[in-house]
This record gives sequence, structure tokens and C-alpha cells, in this order.
Amino acid sequence: MGAKKSIRFRGKRRKKEVSALDITSLLDILVILLVFLLKSYNATGIIINVPEGITLPMSESKTINNDGVMVQVSSTTIWVDDEKVLETEDGFDLKDPTQFDLARHQGSLIVPLYAELMKKRDTVKKIQTLSPEAKAFSGIANLVIDQALRYSFIKRVMYTCAEAGFRQYKFVVMGQEEY
Amino acid sequence: MYQAPSRRKSRKDISKPNLTPILDAVFIFIFFLLMSANFIKLFEISSDVPLLSSQPPPRNQKPPLALTLKITEQGLRFYSGVPARHMKSFGQDDEGQYPFEEIREFLMEIKKKHPKENSIVFEPEIDLEYLKLVEIMDAVRMLNDIDEAIYYRDKDDMDVRAKDLFGNIIFGNIQS
Repeated sequence: MGAKKSIRFRGKRRKKEVSALDITSLLDILVILLVFLLKSYNATGIIINVPEGITLPMSESKTINNDGVMVQVSSTTIWVDDEKVLETEDGFDLKDPTQFDLARHQGSLIVPLYAELMKKRDTVKKIQTLSPEAKAFSGIANLVIDQALRYSFIKRVMYTCAEAGFRQYKFVVMGQEEY
Repeated sequence: MYQAPSRRKSRKDISKPNLTPILDAVFIFIFFLLMSANFIKLFEISSDVPLLSSQPPPRNQKPPLALTLKITEQGLRFYSGVPARHMKSFGQDDEGQYPFEEIREFLMEIKKKHPKENSIVFEPEIDLEYLKLVEIMDAVRMLNDIDEAIYYRDKDDMDVRAKDLFGNIIFGNIQS
């Protein structure tokens, strides 16, 4: 300790040069990364989860997504806000009374989906009555639907949403690549 | 008397800015953006629920366009007016594709005559795939940048450029 501080070693220490790291190339990469990430940043804050089994169709649409209840439909499963409400092994059976209300609505109403959507709507309305500053019920249903599904089933989903009080459908689609 | 320039000047160190705090901030920013990045671009196509009204339409208004598209085995059939009057049909080609360019041209002509109209009623009569349905919806909705500009007068008598063809799609037969 004492030896290092002595006058003898001072000269040697001073001569040591600290090699400066050249960070120009690193900064270049960071700036490029920053620009790329800023371009792909989603400012809406809406997170859309596409479950396994759903392939979204491509569209030319450029309309940004809105906040609303998420209804995800694959060929075997229906989710509402990522929560499974109906699952079948071999696809939906339109003659099954537990899945479809056959007595009324010409079998168009999907019973478990309707029950869950009503629950969601009632929860939002209850919150609204308790707190006037809370967000009002938007009546928007974001439909995340597999591209292979047929219109005969999609219109049942739409009909069920309408019966539950959802006045607007938003079909979630995949944007096309821009070059 | 002339003196040689001092060599001391050349010894002056060039002061470098301290980039460490900037780099720290940039790294935090990049981390935040990486976490919130959305690499798959998701968009939406809007559609309203059809509303039925028992009230008669107002008398002094001009008759509505009531543009309707029926998707049948024979192809896409366009109707207008109340009661519906057939306008034009477009069949599929050998590969099962609809002539979307011709359809767009036809719709552009209607849009020029009715620039304020924005709604179209869809009535698919066949059990078509969702992918195909989205293709048809795109064809009737979108106005491209290279398309001819269509203007209309708004309430304040200002010229407004139409942003889309018939962007408000309503499914008319979800109850059937």
C-alpha cells in the first residue's frame, strides 16, 4: 500500500494510457434499432391475443383497432377475452341444444357465448352505475375469427353478439406487408 | 522578431462528450419498445348491426341508394333502391376468383353519383369462407391512393374528399 503511493511509482502510473472504446458503430446499430422499433410501436395500447388454432385473414385495411370485448373463434373453440366459453372436439354441432338455442332464435343463438357476453355487459354497466367516471359500455365486439370458418357459423356469432347488446362488430384482420 | 509557432497548441486535447447517460437512456428506451413492439400488424374492418325501424322514411328526402350485395352461386349481384332493383352481376373466373378490378370500377361510378353514401348491405346466400368474405369486403370498402379523388360538400359547404368507397358494411341476413 505504502509502496504504491511512493514517489518511485508515480511516474509509471502516469504513463499508462486508458484505451478509449470506439462506440460509433454501436451507436449506429442502436439508432437503426430505435427507428425500427418506433415504427412498429402500437400506441393504441390494445392487446389482441390470437389463440392457437386461429389464422387471421389478410386484408388491405389500415383501420386501427378499438377497445371492446374480444370474441375469438376457432373451428373447435370460442373464447371471450381469452377465457374459454365453448369447446368441442370435432367442431360445433348446430343441432346440440347445449351449444345452440334450438327452441328459439331459429337455432342461431350460441348459448354459452351469449351468457358470457351478457355477464361482460352487466359487469361494465354495474361499474358505470357505481362510478360515473368509469368508461361507458362501448358495445363493440372485436371478432378474431379463423379464416377457414364458414359464413353460416360466423353469422351465428354475430347474431349472438347482437342479442347480447353489442351494436358494432370489428373484424380483426392481419395487415399486409408494406414495402 | 519572427518566432516559430509554439508546439504547445497541438497538445490541446479535444474534449469528447460523455455519452454514457445518453446510451443508458437509449438502452432503456429500446428495452421498453422491444417489450411493447407489435410485429404482426393487426387492423379491423368495422360493421354495424342492422337496425329495424317501423317508422316510414321521411317524405322530403330523396330516395336512398340502399346498395345491396347478394353473394350467390352465380356470383356477386348488386342491387339498389327500395324495393331492390338489380344493377349488375359479376361471376367467378375459372380459378374461382371474382373480378375485383371491374367491381371497383363499377362501385367508383356509383360513388361518383352518390359521394355521401357510405353504406352497403351484405347478404351472402352461400356458405362462403371467411377469407373470401374479407376479400369481398376489401373490394367494396377501399379507395386506393391512385384512385380518382371523389369530393362532396359537407354541412359547412366545404369540399371533403371521400376516404373510402362503401366503408360501412352491414350484414343484412344474420337472423336467417
